[in-house]
Amino acid sequence: MPFSSSHVFPWPPSSSMAVFMDLNIRVDPDKSKLQRLIDTAAHLGFSTVALNYVFEPSTKKKQEIPVPTPISELIGELPVVQGRSRPIRVLNRLTVVTSDASHFRPNAAEYRRFDLLAVEPTTEKLFHAACMSYDVDIVCISVTEKLPFFFKRAPINGAVDRGVLFELSYAAAIRDSTRRRYTIANAVCLMETCKGKNVILSSAAEKALELRGPYDIINLGSLFGLSDENSKAAVSSSCRSVLLHAETRKTASGIISTSRTDQQEALQDQTDPGDEPSAKRPKHS
Amino acid sequence: MVRVKSRYLLCEVNVSDRSHLLLLDDRSVGAAVKDAVARTHGDYGAALCSVRFCVKYLNAHTGIVFLRFPKRCYKLLWSALPFITSVEMRGQKIPCFLNCLHVGGTIRTCQKFLIRYNTQQLHRMLPKCKNEEEKQQVRRSILNCSQAWGNKEELEGEGESGEDEEE
Repeated sequence: MPFSSSHVFPWPPSSSMAVFMDLNIRVDPDKSKLQRLIDTAAHLGFSTVALNYVFEPSTKKKQEIPVPTPISELIGELPVVQGRSRPIRVLNRLTVVTSDASHFRPNAAEYRRFDLLAVEPTTEKLFHAACMSYDVDIVCISVTEKLPFFFKRAPINGAVDRGVLFELSYAAAIRDSTRRRYTIANAVCLMETCKGKNVILSSAAEKALELRGPYDIINLGSLFGLSDENSKAAVSSSCRSVLLHAETRKTASGIISTSRTDQQEALQDQTDPGDEPSAKRPKHS
Repeated sequence: MVRVKSRYLLCEVNVSDRSHLLLLDDRSVGAAVKDAVARTHGDYGAALCSVRFCVKYLNAHTGIVFLRFPKRCYKLLWSALPFITSVEMRGQKIPCFLNCLHVGGTIRTCQKFLIRYNTQQLHRMLPKCKNEEEKQQVRRSILNCSQAWGNKEELEGEGESGEDEEE
């Protein structure tokens, strides 16, 4: 990372070791239901959650990319996280389900309204493109169907190098037995190639009762073929790196980035006393 | 002397409506766990779960459950717990989930943790109190917790009274 995290996020404090996050909670128009979801997440000890808006473009008619509702309108009072004194932090996230290359429009202005950007590719070509070139934070692994392709080393290594993470959600596995099989099969298939690195586990919960406690999720990771430390990272430190990656993505495609300003300051520092050389230059030429 | 080693899981039963918690009993929780293990791990899991598994303690007011698993295979059995979606209590099927708070090697360490956890819950309850009388009662309970450190019986009683206030 070219910058210290404290620049970008005043929170979570760098001293705390494990801060649990759940970066996928389905947004619900019913506010009381959403409030209950957030309350439960805070009670379980998640200090950051992301409300997920799913956007599934179809070829027939043109659809609008959803616009995130401001958090203050959705949730009345943010509950205090279990075991901490701070209120829970809520982010917005967009997931684009792509089945065709035209579905994901890089640099679309609509994407910038969201804190996190995820893509769910359904074909091997798109998976390759998502890993290697798309400007996203998360690549979702489908858990509701058997994967139509195998994971190859090249795109996965590319994604690991670029800092893009893979997401597995467990709520479908809780709902019924066939999807549990697909989830576990796809997860094990992914772990064989990426060896447990760069994976996050999230809930994709629609109801409060579909959330699970962080320690349960960590142990659930063993079913998905993750080792203990990797599955612990999957709910804490990897999620943090998603947030940091989101921050760099925003700033790089925007006007100014945090790392650039540091460099510019450094440049200015250099040029301030060095006004003379620049003045001298015309003499040389 | 060598003793038979176990792992105690301190779990919290989460339901959408807290009044349903009073229907809890240890047999129904045990049956739900056994059922979930059999569903996820098949006959092998069911066999492991039948040996030294039991529900050691249950507090229907706070929804706290102690589960005992053999140490050798507690991770395997624990991985089935997230798949519990409902518990059948007295003929009613109540949707709920188990949230594991602590894993201990003895009941004693779990008890210590539970006292700390319950005190924390009382602290969380304090700002939610509606009138001064409730506040005083919760404050007294918190004080009692720190005085009766290790005296579980007393804490349970206090936990109950605090719980009732929230309703």
